[in-house]
Amino acid sequence: MKTLSLRNLGKTYFDPYAGAHVTAVHDVSLDVEPGEFVSVVGPSGCGKTTILNMIAGFIPHSNGEILLDGKPVHGPGPERGVVFQSFALFPWKTVLDNVGFGPKMRGVPKAERDRIAREYLALAGLSHAANRYPAELSGGMQQRVGVVRALANNPDVLLMDEPFASVDAQTRMTLQEELTRIWQERKPTVIFITHDVPEAVFLANRVVVLSKGRVLEQIDVDLPRPRVWDELVKDDKFKQLSARVLQMVRTA
Amino acid sequence: MQVTGSLKVRSPRLMRGIDSLAEAATFVAPLLLLVAVWAIVVPLFQINPRIFPSLGAVGGAAIDSIRDGSLFAHIGASLLRVGLGTLIGIATAVPLGIAMGVSPTVAAFLTPLFRFFSVLAGIAWIPIATLWFGYGFGAIVFVIFNAVFFVVAYNTLLGVRMIPQTLRNAAASLGAGRRALLTEVLLPGALPNIVTGIRTGLGFAWRGLIAAEMIATNVGLGYMLFVARDFYRTEVIVFGMIVIGVLWLLIDRLLLVPLERATIERWGMVRRT
Ligand SMILES: Nc1ncnc2c1ncn2[C@@H]1O[C@H](COP(=O)(O)OP(=O)(O)O)[C@@H](O)[C@H]1O
Ligand SMILES: [Mg+2]
Repeated sequence: MKTLSLRNLGKTYFDPYAGAHVTAVHDVSLDVEPGEFVSVVGPSGCGKTTILNMIAGFIPHSNGEILLDGKPVHGPGPERGVVFQSFALFPWKTVLDNVGFGPKMRGVPKAERDRIAREYLALAGLSHAANRYPAELSGGMQQRVGVVRALANNPDVLLMDEPFASVDAQTRMTLQEELTRIWQERKPTVIFITHDVPEAVFLANRVVVLSKGRVLEQIDVDLPRPRVWDELVKDDKFKQLSARVLQMVRTA
Repeated sequence: MQVTGSLKVRSPRLMRGIDSLAEAATFVAPLLLLVAVWAIVVPLFQINPRIFPSLGAVGGAAIDSIRDGSLFAHIGASLLRVGLGTLIGIATAVPLGIAMGVSPTVAAFLTPLFRFFSVLAGIAWIPIATLWFGYGFGAIVFVIFNAVFFVVAYNTLLGVRMIPQTLRNAAASLGAGRRALLTEVLLPGALPNIVTGIRTGLGFAWRGLIAAEMIATNVGLGYMLFVARDFYRTEVIVFGMIVIGVLWLLIDRLLLVPLERATIERWGMVRRT
């Protein structure tokens, strides 16, 4: 496992319609330790997606550095797994083959990658759906597949950009609980992006509050695990933390 | 009764079977009506067989051509040309279409050319094809190839363009290199459009084939029509027209539509129309 460091990271877009440069990310520095779960929260437009896309290597950064274990990253790579808001499952592949895609790219033989994929599908309670196609699944199930597909590739860092924003509220709570459970079992390093404050606090060890392309504050979340909503909604510490973060986000 | 018992089972295959039977019935009914009108009108108005044949005469022409084997010679020759031209067309168009889809420069340069040649595809090339390849097999295969090539290449380009960027990003972040991106994402992602392109292209090709065979050969369905015309054999002409239509429907329904269903609809990438 490796440490991810962002050093004075910045991004300036050129907006061809306005004919002007827009600085979406000003100067972000952040260290994420192995096995840590960090939520990044902030109002819409504050640069969350931009930061994640730079770490994933989907877009180049304009300033600063992105270091994984001290080495700069270039372009997308399997050591940085991504879970997409739109799921981004391959419609032409079965659930099993979607999850086995990362291992396939590493040259793992068919029987072995099927075994890996089944193991991860079981982790998310999806064993019965192995031979279905994504279009045959509900949104919640598709995103479960999205999460285990990224995990099955054993990335050093898991990057998640509002992954539960497009499922209904009930399913979202289930998915959040499942994610904390899976995280406890596997301890992947996670950067989880969201604009939903309770979600950020519920999931993370640390919440990073972002404002206009800068880090406003970082708050440690030392709530006990396993975390379940039925208990946390009554928990005073959870309420206090959420209220504090919410306040920051609203004034951000 | 076991039969009703098994019918009660909500087997998707059975339901689909009943569906497609019903579909076939609604498809065939108007055609049967047309045949019935034909069977009545031609004798009723004593239409000159040089203008339009009777149902019986066409039946006779059918039996004759089956007996002497000429029908199968014509069909075989036509199908071989279509099959070969189509295969060459797909094999060259898909790689080019993908190259265009991947490279904006290549696409920008070639798109106007493709628009232009799509309009010309097929029949308009017959005269020059006969100059290049002589009268016969080569010229006809070229016309088919031509009809398929531009349509399939253009549709492949569209297909690649329509693949969401997030799918490419997903593949890349799972470790896919350029080659895997091509075989695992771009090709399957463009397949719905490729299949549509093949269906459209084959439609052009089939018309082009008949036209080319009237001019450039001495066997094939187009030739069969053309020769019959010289002898005022309207029953052979009409029979040939029926064969051409039915063959196309069979190719489309038994080959192309199942191809679409087997893959694309399962993936939820296009809705059934
Ligand atoms: N490709 C782009 N070109 C120009 N401006 C962009 C582009 N992507 C994002 N932006 C701008 O950068 C800012 C941050 O966007 P984004 O990272 O998507 O924010 P968030 O994910 O927090 O909502 C916004 O003002 C947005 O309009
Ligand atoms: Mg965003």
